[in-house]
Amino acid sequence: MRKELGVMNFSLIFCYLLPFIFLTAAPLTPQERFRRSPPLPEPFPELSLPPIETHTLTNGLGLAIVRRENRPVISMRLIILTGERSSPDNLPGLATLTARMLTKGTTNLKAEDVEESIESIGGHLSVDTYPDYSMFNFFFLEEYLDEALRLLGEIILRPTFPRTEVENVQRSMFYDLAVRSTDPAFLARRLVLQILFESHPYKKIIYDQGEIKNMSRRDVVSFYSKYYLPNNAKLVLVGNINLETASRKVSRFLSPWQKKELERSYVPILSPRDTTKIAFIDLPQAKDAAIFLGNIIFPINSPDYFPFIVLNQIIGGTPNSRLFMHLRESKGYAYYAFSETQFYRGCGIFLVTSRIRREVAYEAIQEILNELNNIRKGNIPSQEIEQAKSYLIGNFPLTIETFDNLSYKVAENQAFDLGRDHWERYIENIMRINSEMVSDMGQKYSLHTPVIVIVGNNEILEYLKDFDQVSVYSIDGKPRYEIKKGEKE
Amino acid sequence: MLSGVASIKLRKRKIGRIFLLFLFISFLQAGDSQKKETLPFPVTQHTLKNGLRIILAEDNTLPVVSVVVAYNVGSINEKPGKTGLAHLLENLMFQGSRNVGQMQHYSFIQKIGGMLNAVTTADKTIFYQTVPSNQLALVLWLESDRMKSLNISTTNVENIKNSLIEDIQQRQIADPYLGIFWYFDRMLFPSFSYGHPVLGTIPDIKSITVEDVKDFFSSYYVPSNAVVSIAGHIDKNEVMELVEKYFSTIPMGNELPPLDLEDLPKIQNNNLSVNNAFAPSPGFLLGYQIAPRYSEEYYPLVITEYVLMKGLTSRMHARLIEKDKTAIYLSGGIQRRMDQNAFRIFVRATNEILNERNQRAVFSEINKLKTTFVPEGELQKTKNMFKMDFYKQYSTVLDKAFFLAEMLLDGKDAHQCLAELDRFLAVTHYDIARMVNKYFNEDRILLNIEMK
Repeated sequence: MRKELGVMNFSLIFCYLLPFIFLTAAPLTPQERFRRSPPLPEPFPELSLPPIETHTLTNGLGLAIVRRENRPVISMRLIILTGERSSPDNLPGLATLTARMLTKGTTNLKAEDVEESIESIGGHLSVDTYPDYSMFNFFFLEEYLDEALRLLGEIILRPTFPRTEVENVQRSMFYDLAVRSTDPAFLARRLVLQILFESHPYKKIIYDQGEIKNMSRRDVVSFYSKYYLPNNAKLVLVGNINLETASRKVSRFLSPWQKKELERSYVPILSPRDTTKIAFIDLPQAKDAAIFLGNIIFPINSPDYFPFIVLNQIIGGTPNSRLFMHLRESKGYAYYAFSETQFYRGCGIFLVTSRIRREVAYEAIQEILNELNNIRKGNIPSQEIEQAKSYLIGNFPLTIETFDNLSYKVAENQAFDLGRDHWERYIENIMRINSEMVSDMGQKYSLHTPVIVIVGNNEILEYLKDFDQVSVYSIDGKPRYEIKKGEKE
Repeated sequence: MLSGVASIKLRKRKIGRIFLLFLFISFLQAGDSQKKETLPFPVTQHTLKNGLRIILAEDNTLPVVSVVVAYNVGSINEKPGKTGLAHLLENLMFQGSRNVGQMQHYSFIQKIGGMLNAVTTADKTIFYQTVPSNQLALVLWLESDRMKSLNISTTNVENIKNSLIEDIQQRQIADPYLGIFWYFDRMLFPSFSYGHPVLGTIPDIKSITVEDVKDFFSSYYVPSNAVVSIAGHIDKNEVMELVEKYFSTIPMGNELPPLDLEDLPKIQNNNLSVNNAFAPSPGFLLGYQIAPRYSEEYYPLVITEYVLMKGLTSRMHARLIEKDKTAIYLSGGIQRRMDQNAFRIFVRATNEILNERNQRAVFSEINKLKTTFVPEGELQKTKNMFKMDFYKQYSTVLDKAFFLAEMLLDGKDAHQCLAELDRFLAVTHYDIARMVNKYFNEDRILLNIEMK
């Protein structure tokens, strides 16, 4: 709810290029001395994180509990440790379809009965599928823990995958994709990932409308029987509950879930690409250019994680970071320009996201590449590093305030086996980062040779003619043709 | 989709926020015998010499603190020909003050990892931020500087006017139904003060002068018309020292301009249609005037809202989306304009025939509630969903601070509202039938959106 509200004013800032004028305060009436400059902060307060307690049930189901006492609700997340990368090569999207089918009918409940049971306990249940896992997110009133576990057992153990519901879910996936395909930022992000993942199993997170239709009920059943196993799952609970009670209750409802031999697939590790590639998608209705640049970085469990997130903060984590300050504030090229990281088991992604005035698309790309080259040279002022760290440290407690956010972080920790240190010592892990560690990251990873995707109206091509080669793709990500420098389209 | 994002977004949060108040109050009263459900944070209240009201809530779960500064002013205080002024001033508050540069409020908070924003409604303008608790003084410095010495220059005002006008144009492009909602709300709240959109109209915004803004600021952005609410990891005594330091020397300001609101005329049965060539599909809006917040009848009306509109298994959703599959979009609920409330439903269909079917289905669902009691199981489900929303209102320190600020501005004494959750949970199937019979009657407006 807050997030939605959070754009109120600042959406204005990011949508319109307001001239910035710094006003010099005219000498006015005298004022108290303390008003002239910002007060200094108190020392940073101690942050003590609640520990993650874990236990493995006899059927192999991993249980993780974080105890929080001050709200009468429980956030529960079931992680199935198999994601989209394990879908068969010819059936990308199968992990997503399977996960979404679980709530669509069981031996004892029809799809609408499942909805009724969820809302009867004041609950919400949603599911998300990622490259490495699927996550069922369940939020309900704490007095109904038994009912929630009974329902979870029902949908996990006894799904029936009714044929008409398979079609309904396919139709809804199809429709979601159609709606999202009108969004330049979605298309740009997807094409960057598609090119970076090339032939890696992660490429299966991208599927088109034809591929959605290809999947059958039989495929869903087979994916379910192969991977929906207790020894391939973890259950996270955040609320006023202890490990002992939780273990007892979970066993009661989920012990009929049978362990089975499971072949673990090996995730190939991807390396950064060392040549730049420029790709373009023609979206006739787009007024501006969505310009996204990305390259592969390290997997989530790498020790480079903490120095790199500090580096990312410096490059483009907030409007105070370099990209926004240079591309928007000094040059006036961008409505916004940020950078972000995403992490998986087999790699991470560093991604620059921006919305640019189309007539300066070329200059903006050069400017972003300059920034990334500067990072490579090192010499990042320590003041900038300290500022990035203080943002990350200050922001961290805000990101774990709600039970939902807290349980998501815990679930991610469990899904990737990140360990206690990663969770309990987050602040210390950021604190110890110094200038040298951050500069090393810039040299170690080829941020300056990214995949560059531009999505916009084809009039932009005129402004891209100085690039040696531009690969043109269709909206659904199929390569169409190449434009070489000096050649007519 | 409604009368401007300002009010939509707030409306959504408000439904729940009301309840936080009550929850915390029941804690106050419960004392030692507190139930498990009560909110474990103590609250204290103060008033400074200049009339500024302060409310503090301690919550040491995490080292964060939220500060909410709320002014008792909104679009309802605007004069004809000057709509959009309240929202303009909200935006101007980020453009700098005597000791804080343009947009610096934003960058100060960002740099330390905090979050901030603001919102304007019919009767309130609310600024809020959450920061690490060691940075409380910084926020008080920023907030007091703009309350005391906002920079209102021609350049600033013109810049904001231009971006607000562009914003309205963008919203109209993005949402082809927006203009229709404005038109509908003017009929549902048929008086200037209640009925005009928070965003204002483009000609009105163009006509706003620096003098208008200065007048509005000096009339309403004064300590006696404001509330400072602080929740989180705080020490009450230290906080009061800081608050005194930054806010107590801000002049009290003049007496507030009188709020002379016309009486809101009652609506009469009215069927209208509007042609919208830009709308992607036909649809309709249906509205009823209902009892205001804090009244006896409000509690059953809120539960009725949940029965009809909340969740995938609510009556309207189950009927139009899941069972009949005749609607492609459905939204609505209680619309609040200070001391006036309305109930509004918006439904879209792929064609005119289904649109008509949807209208009949909506009336039939409403009529069912008049003649048949809501079954016990469904009522329990509805109350559980309501309870969940109620509890969500204290998931963050910002939620707490926000709610306490609203309560204070509404002039509600904590002790009047004891056991408010219980009043919602005590609603019976009989109460619901009574309310639907009383308010969901022939005095309603039905606006058919055609595409010819």
